[in-house]
Amino acid sequence: MRERSIIHLNVADFAVAVERIVDSRLRERPVIIAPDSAPRATVYDMSEEAYQSGVRKGMVLRHALRYCRDASVLPPRLDRYERAMESLLKCTLPYSPLIELADHNGHVFIDVTGTGRLFGSAPDIAWRIRKATKKNIGLDPVWSVAPNKLVAKVATRIVKPSGEYIVKTGEEQSFLKPLPTTLIPGLTQEDINRLREFNMLRAGHVAALSMDQLDVIFGKRSLFLYEAVRGIDPSPVTPVGQKQPMVKHRLSFKGDTNDGEEVQNALYGIVEQAVADLRKQHLAARRVGIILDYTDGFRSSRQASISPPAADNFRLFTAAKTAFDHAWKRRVRVRHFCLIYDRLIRPPAQLLLFAAERNQESKQQQLCAALDTIRVRFGPKAIRTGRTFPMTAA
Amino acid sequence: MKTEKENNHTGSCRIYVGTSGYSYTEWIDAGFYPPGTRSGDMLRFYARRFPTTELNYTWYQMPRAGTVKRQLSLVPSDFMFAVKLTRTLTHEIDPQRWQIEASAYRNGIVPLLQARQLAAVLIQLPPYFNRTPSNRKYLASLLNKLHGLPLAVEFRHLSWANDRVFDELKQRQVTLVSVDEPDLPGLFPALDMLTNTDLFYVRFHGRNAKGWRSGNLQHQFDYNYTEDELSEWIESKIMPMAGEADRGLIFFNNHVSGQAAQNAATLIDLLKRQGLEVAGHA
Repeated sequence: MRERSIIHLNVADFAVAVERIVDSRLRERPVIIAPDSAPRATVYDMSEEAYQSGVRKGMVLRHALRYCRDASVLPPRLDRYERAMESLLKCTLPYSPLIELADHNGHVFIDVTGTGRLFGSAPDIAWRIRKATKKNIGLDPVWSVAPNKLVAKVATRIVKPSGEYIVKTGEEQSFLKPLPTTLIPGLTQEDINRLREFNMLRAGHVAALSMDQLDVIFGKRSLFLYEAVRGIDPSPVTPVGQKQPMVKHRLSFKGDTNDGEEVQNALYGIVEQAVADLRKQHLAARRVGIILDYTDGFRSSRQASISPPAADNFRLFTAAKTAFDHAWKRRVRVRHFCLIYDRLIRPPAQLLLFAAERNQESKQQQLCAALDTIRVRFGPKAIRTGRTFPMTAA
Repeated sequence: MKTEKENNHTGSCRIYVGTSGYSYTEWIDAGFYPPGTRSGDMLRFYARRFPTTELNYTWYQMPRAGTVKRQLSLVPSDFMFAVKLTRTLTHEIDPQRWQIEASAYRNGIVPLLQARQLAAVLIQLPPYFNRTPSNRKYLASLLNKLHGLPLAVEFRHLSWANDRVFDELKQRQVTLVSVDEPDLPGLFPALDMLTNTDLFYVRFHGRNAKGWRSGNLQHQFDYNYTEDELSEWIESKIMPMAGEADRGLIFFNNHVSGQAAQNAATLIDLLKRQGLEVAGHA
């Protein structure tokens, strides 16, 4: 396999950096980004000064202001951050068609493998992009060059808020070895807690374990851990403009709610729409994700895998509910949520082994197909399941 | 008048020839590295061919002791490094931070000093760094801050080609880098001015006049020296400097398509034919 050169740009405290371009008076003072209208608003992002004072992402705004009394508080402006990301993209476009943007957070991956004869070395390209970004939009990103996305991301994490890092092919494991496991992307809090129980605090500690040993402790997660701590990540950089195929639906509650039944019914309604989209494209989903926004601005996201892949309301709703239940853990009202089905494939042709299961599935598929036909012919509201009707007081 | 050091010159100058940087994937296609060589393994292969290299990644990234140690472990103990000074001390100078950056740089190259494998620190100044009072003052402060290291300064603006500058470098025992580059107006001329008898330092950038100001390194440094051009350099400049210095460093920066490595190997042959003492087995 050809050696890859991946550049990662990371604008430290992206939301604050964007606000500081818009209002230069903010440059000299601590800034906190949080939805200030909500009663239990939490910190969305903060400047380095606020961080040094003890403010952290997700902290309740009232508490954050106790740590940093003189901070300017600004509401999150996602459209503004999106425009800044577009400008960032423009600075990188001349160098590669393989550019992957993360959502509104100042992270960009650029695959410059094989462009050496055109543009020079990867560090030189990274430096040029950083220079252009600084000149054209006023953002000063940290950059790294590494053989894959995982290592490149860790490299920018360790030099934040300013600097650069180059990791060569073959140096991935020795680079990660002394670093805390908390810096490895993709490790969940559960993974980290479990590793802590075994006093494994650094990537090198985990890398000392064999696949079999990891399997005993982590089961399904062991392969990911085994590769991550060794800096193995074959995932490609998605070509610019080409998003991962997915079906995405959003729902906002008119008044924020913490009524479990109302939320569940709303979820069912949106699952129905999403699944109809999937079936229209003759696709089945292998994963469902929920991004949930609480009334205080706190965001939580969870995923659940769907095995075997499915395209029917019943199984996809069960999976979505599992993800939703994991995401909604706080006793705080919900404002908005987003449902995502991804890892889409053509539905598997393999039939179920047992006749009873086969019959059940066949019935469900017929029902879904009948619902789809009616809705196509008479409109989406022509036929609905009872639970999606608005509830009225008895 | 000659200094005491110049009078003590032994007459034998050991010359190290190499390339500016070694980590170029296109050198695999050019046949310099075996097919499939990973960038992490390139230095090991390179050190079999040449006795020295110029580390140019340190211009982009502050050297880190750990990385430098790893590089040392890949080369023989007599392999020498010239290390480019970081851009935050030459091109992107922050008046508030440069002293901290200079200290960080010193810390980063400590393993090379300890191993006695640091041949020079290359201070390459940008083309727009002309001889103004403020720039002179900064350069003097920088040289003071880096005092004790084997320093070599490469000017790229004509205004520094001045006897007072050379005298000051002589007094500080700082090497003036001799450069070969296209014959274009405003560029620093090719000189054989020896300002430090410990070391002379030559950089061959190539003579691609058309690509020089293209802003693209692949065009700027795309040039293949002929034997005649190299022989002319040996006779007119390298031999006079080698006659007075203890050590010489010569690097080829025309890295496109592996030309630097080819030209460096040719130069080694030519130097040997002239009876000069050349380090390494290439």
